[in-house]
Amino acid sequence: MRVLKALAWSVVALAALAVGYVVFFDGIEAVLRWYFTVTNFTASKVPNFAHNLRLGAEVTIKLTVISSITGLILGLFAGIARLSKNPLFRWPAQFYVWVIRGTPLLVQILFAYNALPFLLEPLWKYLQPLGVPPIQDVLTPYWAAFIALSVNVGAYNAEVIRAGIQAIAKGQWEAAMSLGMRPFQVMRYIIVPQAIKIVVPPLVNNVIALLKDSSLASVITLLELVHQGQRMISITFRPVEVYIAVAAIYLILTTVLTFFTDWLERALARRGAAV
Amino acid sequence: MEAIIHMENVNKWFGSLHVLKDINLDVQKGEVVVVIGPSGSGKSTLIRTINRLEEIQKGRIVVDGIELNRDVRNIDAVRKEVGMVFQSFNLFPHMTVLENITLAPRIVRKWPREKAEQIAMELLERVDIADQAEKYPAQLSGGQQQRVAIARALAMQPKIMLFDEPTSALDPEMVGEVLDAMKELARSGMTMLVVTHEMGFAREVADRVIFMDMGEIIEEGEPDQVFSNPRHERTQAFLARILH
Repeated sequence: MRVLKALAWSVVALAALAVGYVVFFDGIEAVLRWYFTVTNFTASKVPNFAHNLRLGAEVTIKLTVISSITGLILGLFAGIARLSKNPLFRWPAQFYVWVIRGTPLLVQILFAYNALPFLLEPLWKYLQPLGVPPIQDVLTPYWAAFIALSVNVGAYNAEVIRAGIQAIAKGQWEAAMSLGMRPFQVMRYIIVPQAIKIVVPPLVNNVIALLKDSSLASVITLLELVHQGQRMISITFRPVEVYIAVAAIYLILTTVLTFFTDWLERALARRGAAV
Repeated sequence: MEAIIHMENVNKWFGSLHVLKDINLDVQKGEVVVVIGPSGSGKSTLIRTINRLEEIQKGRIVVDGIELNRDVRNIDAVRKEVGMVFQSFNLFPHMTVLENITLAPRIVRKWPREKAEQIAMELLERVDIADQAEKYPAQLSGGQQQRVAIARALAMQPKIMLFDEPTSALDPEMVGEVLDAMKELARSGMTMLVVTHEMGFAREVADRVIFMDMGEIIEEGEPDQVFSNPRHERTQAFLARILH
């Protein structure tokens, strides 16, 4: 019964999300059409411009969402591994965080797009006979950007998660262990529920940074929001209006994310009173 | 009769610091043992070795017939039988009082929720705070929190209870209510090992007082003998300092 109810709610929530997504971007496109009209762009081209920017915004948001989710999983593993007593887990995690945080994201994106295919070529020798498409078809700008952004935000998330777990006092571990709980149970029932409240705000902060940083993927020809804007400028020679529109869309997207975080923080705070 | 806690030549180091030196200690079933000594004497470390919150490097510890060694099954088995109360309470802040008490019985002992809650309510009744069951720890006073912590440890129905300075973090006016709960527990026949500076408690309910200094057991005996007539000069010096 409870499972069915949860399933039904998930379906409703997903449907609402899908509808909300379409309405949101239709809205953005409509506003853009109005904006380009009042700013005297060639009337016949306005629908096309508005639509292209909308598509760019959609690429940006999709890239951000899937990279955030992958980056969260990466960060969770790396963050916990960094706290492990076993150097076989700890050292690779430390190395990962060190390298990613110490190099520019732009270099990581260029590396994923230009260098990774060369590195993966030997592997593809074995994979391609199995029906896997050629490496150039797999590592499109979109998927190269996805890899670079996930790996990048994963390293920052790892630090947040490590700090969150460490922020839970040692006494909580000891009390739980003294009651006979296994380490996994301590994590599941005691540490994670408390750490979530600590890590959610900085994690969403990372997502907002990721949303903005995804603009760097324009250098590998990904047609996200910035690149769409640049194409429009090269046709119209009107950087002022176009960049204002691009910046405004980023602002709207980050503002929506901020509202969502505030809501999430309050929801988490309600579950389980003051700490 | 075989001792319920048996410690034999127990040694422990923190790095190069020798914190427990050749500790030999037997505690009988139902016995209440109070451990006193200056800070840094190793008394907290001593009781924390009994449920293996601290590992030892030399010697052996047998609790209720179970050898404490690297075997995780043995450690789990001992922890099920040994409850612990901490100086800083260590209640789980994201759970209500009732959830704090029922969690371990439900997930470790695998009791159904109804049974765990029924026993939790009986225990809260026993420590006199049944009306606080639905509150969160942060909404309680220190004394109430520590009584919840006692109930939480008792919910696992342990055979032994360890107390690590249970009243040291409390405001003076709340010490009494926690000591009362502990006295009641002592009279009910629980085996207890208590690290405390509460000499009144020791005099009233302890069967035996152990004085530790620099990682060694210096002296032990009945409370009256140790307090009124300490044999060792280090014990005399310590008692003179804390009893004024």
